[in-house]
Amino acid sequence: MNDQSEVRSTSSDFVNLDRRSFLKTGLGGAIFLGTVSATAGLSGCSSTPAGRVSAVGTRMDASYEFRFLTSDDIQLFEALLPAIIGPGLPEQPQARRMVIAGTIERIDAGIHKFGPANQKELRRLFDLLNFGLTRVTIARVWSSWPKVTTEEADAFLERWRTSGIGLFNNGYIALTKISNVAFYGYEDFWHLSGYPGPPKWAVDALPQFQNA
Amino acid sequence: MQLKDRIAQGLESGWKVTDGATLTENRALEADVVVIGTGAGGGTTAEILAKSGLSVILVEEGRLYYQKDFKMDELSAYASLYQEGMSRVTKDGAIAILQGRCVGGSTTVNWTSSFRTPDATLDYWADRFGLDALAPDAMAPWFDGREQRHNMESWAVKPNVNNDILRQGCDQLGYSWQVIPRNVKGCWNLGYCGVGCPTNAKQGALLTTVPGALDNDAHLIHGLRADKLVMNQDRIDHLQASAMAADGITPSGVTVTLKARHFVAAASAIGTPGLLLRSGIPDPHNRIGKRSFIHPVNACVAEMPEKVEPFYGAPQSIYSDHFNFSGGVDGPVGYKLEVPPLHPAMSSGVIPGHGDTQINNMARLPWMNSVIALLRDGFHPASPGGTIGLRDDGSPYLDYPVTDYLWDGLRRAFYTMAEIQFAAGAKRVRLMHLDSDWYSTWADAKAAIDQLPMELHRVRLFTAHQMGGCGMGANPEDSVVNGFGEHHHVSNLSVHDASIFPTSIGANPQLSVYALSARNSTRLANRLKA
Repeated sequence: MNDQSEVRSTSSDFVNLDRRSFLKTGLGGAIFLGTVSATAGLSGCSSTPAGRVSAVGTRMDASYEFRFLTSDDIQLFEALLPAIIGPGLPEQPQARRMVIAGTIERIDAGIHKFGPANQKELRRLFDLLNFGLTRVTIARVWSSWPKVTTEEADAFLERWRTSGIGLFNNGYIALTKISNVAFYGYEDFWHLSGYPGPPKWAVDALPQFQNA
Repeated sequence: MQLKDRIAQGLESGWKVTDGATLTENRALEADVVVIGTGAGGGTTAEILAKSGLSVILVEEGRLYYQKDFKMDELSAYASLYQEGMSRVTKDGAIAILQGRCVGGSTTVNWTSSFRTPDATLDYWADRFGLDALAPDAMAPWFDGREQRHNMESWAVKPNVNNDILRQGCDQLGYSWQVIPRNVKGCWNLGYCGVGCPTNAKQGALLTTVPGALDNDAHLIHGLRADKLVMNQDRIDHLQASAMAADGITPSGVTVTLKARHFVAAASAIGTPGLLLRSGIPDPHNRIGKRSFIHPVNACVAEMPEKVEPFYGAPQSIYSDHFNFSGGVDGPVGYKLEVPPLHPAMSSGVIPGHGDTQINNMARLPWMNSVIALLRDGFHPASPGGTIGLRDDGSPYLDYPVTDYLWDGLRRAFYTMAEIQFAAGAKRVRLMHLDSDWYSTWADAKAAIDQLPMELHRVRLFTAHQMGGCGMGANPEDSVVNGFGEHHHVSNLSVHDASIFPTSIGANPQLSVYALSARNSTRLANRLKA
C-alpha cells in the first residue's frame, strides 16, 4: 500500500486518466470540488466548527474554541502533522499529542483570519480529503485518517507534491504551508530553525514589551 | 530613538478616530472629501486635502495598529496586518499576494525600499499612454518633496550579511548593484519591518501622513469596509460602508453612509478596481480591472559557509538593476534583484517541503541567504497583465495568467540568482520550485534550471507589489483615469493609488504612489477650493 507503483497499477487507469484530463482544466476542478463539497455535506461530513473540544478523551486544550476546523478536519491534521512536521515533533507520546494539538489550534486561529473566500476554498479541500470516496479516489488514502500511518500520510503528500496536476500541487502547498507556518512560526519551535527570537536588547528597551 | 508614540499621543490629544467595531447603530456622516484607504495614496491625499482646509473622512477596512501592537512576532502580525491573514493568492492559487490591511496599508508592513519611478518607465508611459506630463523632469519635484516627507535616504549603515551576499555576488560577476534608499528615521537596524516597525522608525503613512491629516481635523474610521459608491445621475452621491466586528473580518451589520463632494479611491490595485466594479461605475470601454500588474517574483535560497542571520538587520539595503532594463524597455522581460528577510514562519511557508526535508531546510536558517527577482511586467504585448474580478460575495480577486514571455524571464532570473549566490560563495542553492533539490555547484544548478518545468504551482511565485487595474491614460478607450487620477466619466471621483499605473513600475512602488498622489491631491485641493 505504501508502494506508489503498486498503487498506480491497481487503480483503474481508465478512471485515472479520465479524472486527470477532467481536473486539468481549472473550471472542471472547481466544479468537481464544489460537487464533492456539497456531496460531503449531504453525506454527513460535519461542516460545523468543532467549537470547544472536550479535554476528556482528546488532546485538545478545552479552553480553545475552534472557529473553522471541524472534528473531521482535526483528525485529518492529527494524521498529517506527523508527516509534515516529522522529526520536529517530540517522541514522548503525551508531549507529542500536546504539540500536535497546539499546532492544530494555531492552524484554526490562522484560518479564521483568512476571511470567507479563502475559507471556502479550504473547506472544499478538507471536505475532499475527509469524504471517504474522494479520500480514496483523489488522495488514494485507503484508511480513514485516524487509522492512517505516518508513512501513508507522507506517501500521500509526496504524491500530491510530485503530481503533474496543478490542483494537487496546490493542495500540497496549502496543507504544508499552513502547517509549517503554524509550527515553525511559533515561539516554542523557533529553536528548530536556529532563530533566537527578537534581539533581547531591543525587547528590553521597547515600551510595548514592558507590561507583558 | 523614536520611543514617543505619535499615534498614542494623537489619540490622547483628541484626534477624531472611530473604530468601526464600536459602532452599535447605523450612522450617516458628511465631509468635503471621503478618502477610501489609508496607505501610500490615501494617507498622502488626506494630509494634503486636510491641510488645505477641506474636511476629510478617511475610511480604512483594516484596523488601527501601532507601536503597542508591534511585537516582532510573525504569527500575530501576519494574521492581523495583512490581507486575508497573509493567505491572499491569485484566482488559481498559484501566486501568493503579500499586501497590507491596516491603517497605513502596505506602507506599515513593507521593507522600506524607496525608489523613484525609473525614467524609462515614465518615458514609456509618455510614449504609449499619452502621459507626457509625467515625464521625469516634471515629476522630479514631486519625488523630491516626498523623499523629504518620508525621510528617504540611501541606507548609510553597512548592509546585513543577507544583502551583502547580493553585493558580493554581483561584484564577482561584474553585475552592477546599488544601495537602497529607505524611509526611516532613527532606525535600530532590527529587521522586523515586515511585522510592523517596533521602534516607530519607519516613516510610512502610519507615522507621517495619516497623523498629518488627523492633526488637521480629518476623521479616521477604521474597521470600516467601503462596499459601494452610489451614483445619483452622473455623480457619486455617497459611499455605503460596513462596520467590521473587532476580529476585523466579520461585518457587524452596522452600516455607515458617507456623503461628500468628492470621493478618492485609494484602496489599492486590488481593492479599488473591486470597489469600482461593485459600484457599477460607468465603464463604457470595459477597462476597470484590466491590465493588473504584480512584478511576479521568484526566489532562490542559498546555504552560505558563514552565518547570515537573515532575520536581523535592515531587510533590504542592496539591489541590482543590472537585468532590469538591459533588454530595452519593451524587450524580453527584465527583472530587479533584491533580498528578502527570512524569519521562521515566512521561510517555512515559502520554502516548499515537509517532513525530514523541511526540518533540514529550516535548521540551516541562520546560514541562509535568499535572492528574489521582481519581473517588470506590462511593457510588452505578451505581458498584458491580469484581471480583477468579483467573487459571489463581492470581494475582489486577481486572475493573473503567467505567459510564456514571463516564464522565459522567470527561468532567466533563476539562472542569475543561483549564479550570484554561488559567486558569493554559496555551499548549495535551492530554487523555490517543488521539484528543486539543493545543488552544490553552479553547473548542477544550471543543468537543473535548464530542465525544471516552468509551470504554475510548481514554481513558487509571489508578489508584494500590486499595480494597475484602473490605468491612467490620455485616451478613455484604453484607460480609466486621466494623468491626474481623475475618472474619465465621473467628475467627482479620483483614484490615488497604484491601480492607476498603466504598467508595472520596475521598482518597489511606494514612492511612485506617494509622488503621484501628492501631485494629484495638490491639484484636487485647488479644484475643490476654487
